[in-house]
Amino acid sequence: MKKSTLKPQTVIIDKDTKHVIEQPGHYIFEIIKPGIKVDIFSAIQAHGEETKELNVIIHHKAAKTTAQTTLKAVGFDKSTLIMKAKILIDPDCQQTESFLTERVLLLSKDAHAIAIPDLEILTDDVKCSHAASVTQIPEEQIFYLTSRGISRRTAEDMIVEGFLKMTE
Amino acid sequence: MTNSNIKKTNSKPSGLSSTEFSFSTAGYKHITKPGLTEGTIREISAIKNEPKWMLDIRLRAFRQYQLLNTPPWGADLSGIDFDNLRYFLKASDEKLSWDDVPPEVKETFDRLGIPEAERDVLAGVKAQYDSEVVYGSLKSVWEKDGVIFLSMDEGLEKYPDLVKEYFGKVIASNDNKYAALNTAVWSGGSFVYIPKGVEVKMPLQTYFRINAELSGQFERSLIIVEEGAKVHYVEGCTAPNFSSTSLHSAVVEIFVKPGATCQYTTIQNWYKNIYNLVTKRAYVETEGKMIWTDFNMGSKVTMKYPGYILAGKGAVGETLSMALAGEGQHQDTGSKAVHLAPYTSSNIVSKSISKSGGRSSYRGLVKIAPDAHHCKSSVICDALILDPESRTDTYPTNIIENNQVEMQHEATVSKVGDDQLFYLMSRGINEEKAKKMIVNGFIADLVKKLPMEYALEMNRLIDHEMEGSVG
Repeated sequence: MKKSTLKPQTVIIDKDTKHVIEQPGHYIFEIIKPGIKVDIFSAIQAHGEETKELNVIIHHKAAKTTAQTTLKAVGFDKSTLIMKAKILIDPDCQQTESFLTERVLLLSKDAHAIAIPDLEILTDDVKCSHAASVTQIPEEQIFYLTSRGISRRTAEDMIVEGFLKMTE
Repeated sequence: MTNSNIKKTNSKPSGLSSTEFSFSTAGYKHITKPGLTEGTIREISAIKNEPKWMLDIRLRAFRQYQLLNTPPWGADLSGIDFDNLRYFLKASDEKLSWDDVPPEVKETFDRLGIPEAERDVLAGVKAQYDSEVVYGSLKSVWEKDGVIFLSMDEGLEKYPDLVKEYFGKVIASNDNKYAALNTAVWSGGSFVYIPKGVEVKMPLQTYFRINAELSGQFERSLIIVEEGAKVHYVEGCTAPNFSSTSLHSAVVEIFVKPGATCQYTTIQNWYKNIYNLVTKRAYVETEGKMIWTDFNMGSKVTMKYPGYILAGKGAVGETLSMALAGEGQHQDTGSKAVHLAPYTSSNIVSKSISKSGGRSSYRGLVKIAPDAHHCKSSVICDALILDPESRTDTYPTNIIENNQVEMQHEATVSKVGDDQLFYLMSRGINEEKAKKMIVNGFIADLVKKLPMEYALEMNRLIDHEMEGSVG
């Protein structure tokens, strides 16, 4: 795999935060104070022949920190989505909780997705998980909407809009 | 289960002190000089009396090996001193029956707990003593059906056309540095051919061990399962104790023809100074099914990612992977699923345990090609981490090149919960026993898939490894 050429951007987190990633890119979140809670959310779309890459590192450098990361992406046409995310927990960061979700929706058969969710855990007392999925829109959902008189195109748009919304 | 199996289970787990697994290398019939040159390869090939095309494959692989680099990812391999390894050892001539096996070889097998009576129960026992199979028997019932179960060297001698057709066809010699090395110096391993429609009901088994100090073991296996046939192949490993670092680098190629099923089970319990670098891959045709059951407990470093190329419509791949990393160990294992055809599915379940400063990593690949529509892939990795010094990693790569797929990946990391321990201890179970119960419960789903005697052995091994883990 090609090495990412994106310049990393470090975000220091020292208080409870809700962070929304607006643009694709390479982000390193360093959680440095014990007891902090962080929510990270991102929703990206790629159209035409675009390649969009999002590379997120959640680095726990203190004990008792909690992070919830949700990364969503929709790929149209001939686009390529690259979603890399890593949870890094340093030694002696006891009672850390970190959860990562990567969800990719591909709307065209020529759209590609690469999902790499990594974990590197150097402490034992942690709760940590990640999940990644790549799917298309379930046909049942489209059917439900189109059977109510909504065109396929509009139905797809509605589902994508709902998918990309930030959920609490 | 019969007595013989229980006897075997009692004697094999590493409850023995490490020195009991130690044997000298005196009495070898043939040992090559340490180091590897083109001459060594010509020497190996000449001793085996191989056809010229095999020597050509070996020499080409050797040139590729010299050009290829060590992978930039994965475990630390700097401890291997390639120049000081011996690349070929020949223990003794092949014998026809167990009685003819020399006493010192027999003694080694007795220590490993392979009772003679087991032959009557199991399909056929092939035991690899160092580089060549010294003993093998196969029930005549299956020989009648045309099942071939030989050492790779015998296979090459007796069925050169079959070997030529399939050798190196799913794992090219330049696939990676260690596959190239194996292709250049391979010796031993199994050759299995299951004819069309034949179902082998009991598992075929082999035992591999490394004996001589500093010997590399480069076994090469080829399994061909013809249309509609079915086989379960079991490979168990244990190695004796020796001081310097040794290398084991195997290549296993499997061909699963339309509608066929192959299960390949590995119990890897090498001694903890061995580098275990293995390439295993299956090529699965229409509606074929490949199951890898891969249990790694021993060795210093293991890098092994059994994979399948799902090349025919509706092909299925399944991997059950378990790793236990203790002090000084790094288990870098996982699975690779390449979906090339529509309606194919893959299912990977991995469980790992890290303790006493050990490191276990899951490294996997799911690739779904543009034309492989309606594919399903599910990857689940659970890791248990038992103390603050240990480490666990998950490195999955998912490359999806069309949208009519369902790909899922999940991973969790946890420790033995205080509430779980409290529950058990409040019922009068001591901490060590409680921890063992929880760990055995963690892997129970996978252990259930093993043949009975191995499942018992597995539980005992885990118990043994867990001893003294209460801080």
